[in-house]
Amino acid sequence: MQFQIIAKCPTTRARVSRMTLAHGTTMLPTFMPVATQAAIKGLTPQQMESLGVTLMLNNTYHLNLRPGLKVLNAAGGAHKFQGWKKNLLTDSGGFQLVSLSKFTTITEEGALFSSPFTGEPTMLTVMHISSPFAAQINDPFQPEESISIQHTIGADIIMQLDDVVSSLTTGPRVKEAMERSVRWLDRCIIEHENSGKKNEQNLFAIVQGGLDPALRDQCLDEMIARKDGVAGYAIGGLSGGEEKDVFWRVIKQCADRLPEERPRYSMGIGFAEDLLVCVALGVDMADCVFPTRTARFGVALTHDGPLNLKLSKHATELKPLDDSCPCPTCAGRTSRAMLHHIVTHETAAAHAITLHNIVFQARVMGEAREAIIGERFPDYLRNFFARYFRSSGYPEWCVNALRSVGVDITEDSDIPIIPGSGAKWEYAEK
Amino acid sequence: MTSLVAPTFTFTLSTRSNAARFGPRIGTISLKRPIPSSSSENDLQISTPSLITTTSRGVVPHLSRDHHSQTSAIKWVNVPFETFLEHNPPVPTLQPGNDPLHTFLGFGLGRHLVSMTARDPADGREMPPNGNKQISAMTLRGVRKLSPTEWRNYTQTCNPDIVFALSDTPFTDPPYSQKRLTKSIDRSASWLATMLAPSPRGTPNIILHMAGNTSIPARTAFSSSLLEPLFGPEAEAIAPFKTLDEGVTGYSFDLVPIRQGIDALERKNGIDAPVSIAPLFESSLNRLPTEKIRIVNSVQTPHEVLDLISTIGIDMFSAECAQNAANVGVAFDFAFPVRGGEVVGEKKQLGHNLYDTKYAFDFIPFADSFRGELPPDTNGVQQTVVDETLPVCPCMACSPFTPPSRLYHGVDTPDHSLAEEQFTHPDGSSLYQPPFTRAYLHHLLHTHEMSAHALLAMHNLEVFESFFKGIREVIAANEGREDGEKRWNVEVQRFKDTYDDNLRVVEEASVGWKEVDLARGKGRLAREKEEVVAE
Ligand SMILES: [Zn+2]
Ligand SMILES: [Zn+2]
Repeated sequence: MQFQIIAKCPTTRARVSRMTLAHGTTMLPTFMPVATQAAIKGLTPQQMESLGVTLMLNNTYHLNLRPGLKVLNAAGGAHKFQGWKKNLLTDSGGFQLVSLSKFTTITEEGALFSSPFTGEPTMLTVMHISSPFAAQINDPFQPEESISIQHTIGADIIMQLDDVVSSLTTGPRVKEAMERSVRWLDRCIIEHENSGKKNEQNLFAIVQGGLDPALRDQCLDEMIARKDGVAGYAIGGLSGGEEKDVFWRVIKQCADRLPEERPRYSMGIGFAEDLLVCVALGVDMADCVFPTRTARFGVALTHDGPLNLKLSKHATELKPLDDSCPCPTCAGRTSRAMLHHIVTHETAAAHAITLHNIVFQARVMGEAREAIIGERFPDYLRNFFARYFRSSGYPEWCVNALRSVGVDITEDSDIPIIPGSGAKWEYAEK
Repeated sequence: MTSLVAPTFTFTLSTRSNAARFGPRIGTISLKRPIPSSSSENDLQISTPSLITTTSRGVVPHLSRDHHSQTSAIKWVNVPFETFLEHNPPVPTLQPGNDPLHTFLGFGLGRHLVSMTARDPADGREMPPNGNKQISAMTLRGVRKLSPTEWRNYTQTCNPDIVFALSDTPFTDPPYSQKRLTKSIDRSASWLATMLAPSPRGTPNIILHMAGNTSIPARTAFSSSLLEPLFGPEAEAIAPFKTLDEGVTGYSFDLVPIRQGIDALERKNGIDAPVSIAPLFESSLNRLPTEKIRIVNSVQTPHEVLDLISTIGIDMFSAECAQNAANVGVAFDFAFPVRGGEVVGEKKQLGHNLYDTKYAFDFIPFADSFRGELPPDTNGVQQTVVDETLPVCPCMACSPFTPPSRLYHGVDTPDHSLAEEQFTHPDGSSLYQPPFTRAYLHHLLHTHEMSAHALLAMHNLEVFESFFKGIREVIAANEGREDGEKRWNVEVQRFKDTYDDNLRVVEEASVGWKEVDLARGKGRLAREKEEVVAE
């Protein structure tokens, strides 16, 4: 990996950088759309290329279940299997393993788990059955195995296996998970070093430590000490259940301390306000299923806030989602009325909104890069938040987070500040 | 409001094709758009026989707009309008501009001929009876009534290229009595007259459904009524036309109600007295001008297409069978004329049920009868020998190409990224990428990824269009030859000997579709919930 910072915001911690991997260059900060099962829902890789996406994510846990490693091996890796020529990132599989399996137990060896579908012991360790690395059916899912699987998948960026605990967990388990994640990182580094894949694939560490600043600091100390073995750092352990005001403080703490010369990746972040706060705090990459999932429920993301196209107020609205949007849906002048007519009835509606939402995310980040390089990032933040939250009010945590890096979005603004987690959009899924 | 004028629709049969009333024929549809849309790039031509792409709620199922414009087989698009009756007035009628239906639905003037029909010709569900002044149409919010006058207004406002006249086709309880069929042909003729009433906008290009269901006398009577010169107020009502037929651009046949009628008759009379389709079509067309375009909706197999071309001389066929196969996970794989020698052993299936586990490691393109522009790329792990003499399937699954341009969003152009970006070959031709494989589609189907159906829909439509292209070539090659008819029949027979006309793969795939559906959480919504947790 080549990682080069090309501009820094004079006010905030935001930066623009160029990350070159085996399948091309991705400009950071960037948002990574999630192709969980080796496909962005309803779209083709060529469409993703045309939207300007240069880095997307596959989920290791899912690909290991289907199509399985034998198929991926025969195909020559996930890039070729799905026809994607640009950069790819895989997670470790650990997160889904824990969240989808009822009977996971974590031991020092790794994670023991049963079938996510039935829970029956006969289906124990589905992951292993399809894995050439499993000696026995009751072997735990080990850090080495996660790395091996990710080597077979062949993504440009791979993640260490971490010991995942919910961000709402308290007590000694958090410390144990953090310390174990450090030890597992060592095992992942060794596995990766010995694999001969270091030139094509890049290992990222995942900083753990829950919501406890002291544990986070310890984890940062340990993981920064292992900098030579890792190409980048993710900030993990923030699952969305925590208070937003705690969330941003953890991000800030980590981003402040992580080495300048490594990309920083905030996992599972996708709301526009979260993305921009993270960028301002110094984060370079983020991923989330939110923009593509919400599209399937009929919600289009715009600079004026999300639009729920199921609502009858859009039934006769002949304008596109966003006049200034270059996505195929808006450039083709697809009206909100037409989308309203087909939304949730035709898959083509999901495709149209997915195309738009992916471009929306890319624009939010692209406009951020442009503003950072033009030394007007604070203005961009103020304008973006003013327009996005005009009708709903500023989330208080965003105001606090941005103040911490020297930007006051409430300046010259009469938009009210809303305490708590922020905007209550009319998402269709509720 | 400005008057919207319909484009000029011309259908020209090749000279030799025009000589016979029935039998294989080739022709050209040429559509010329009026001022102000007129410009050579907005005109379009379609060689016949060919296919009509069907739509659901105004969209080609599974295809985003960029995908349907990349699919060369999609030229004539038929839009059942009934779902738009959910809103009053129907929303497409609110669309400003000269080509409201094209604009509202995102079809290109120079690319797509768009026709508008009141009901979905594939929908055979039982319906409340039609009335003297209205049909019953189906919407998500229940049954809506639609009158001939409303239909005339909606079609005038939407300005499609072709309008299917409102037809009184009953969907109540077949077989229909002589009395009911008499009513049906009288109403259909009278509703056609409503469409033909003089208008400053001129007369639209009208396709007329051939009424009479399974009754030869009713069909003959309907055709005769079209040719009868009208007098007095009846003549004034459709001036300057002297007969109803003069105002008609072409004829259509909906197979769904005919099949229902035939099934009902056979149940009633016993299967010893089977009713075949060809004599019904002949009775409609026996006296009508031969040079007008003939359309059939809802053929089920390519075999049926060949029969209707051989016996009748049908020009356009709806592509539902191709699109339905894509819906359930079947990739079409057949070609006309059949290449190579005799078929030995079992007949081939018309496609592949890609749910079948035998495709899990099958790293080749969807069809054996076609290749992609590039061979599959599996890193040398799997060696596949590609027969270079195979025709290319131009679909975005078999012959995907690097998009000719991409979007930039800020500080990601090559001057920042320092990346060398290539979108086309130096000569401007497409930069093809390896085909999507059966193994990948198998995976997408088993994980319920919607991309599977987008790729299959594009592929099946292109394979179906290739089939029609082959038909046109064989007809053209045999025109004027003494043994032309014989040579055509030999090719048709070879096709029937090679391919099974049962739709076993489609049935099997439908089972696969349902099984994955169940395994992944009972129904679409439940499945969606599960994915939300899983992602
Ligand atoms: Zn858009
Ligand atoms: Zn194809």
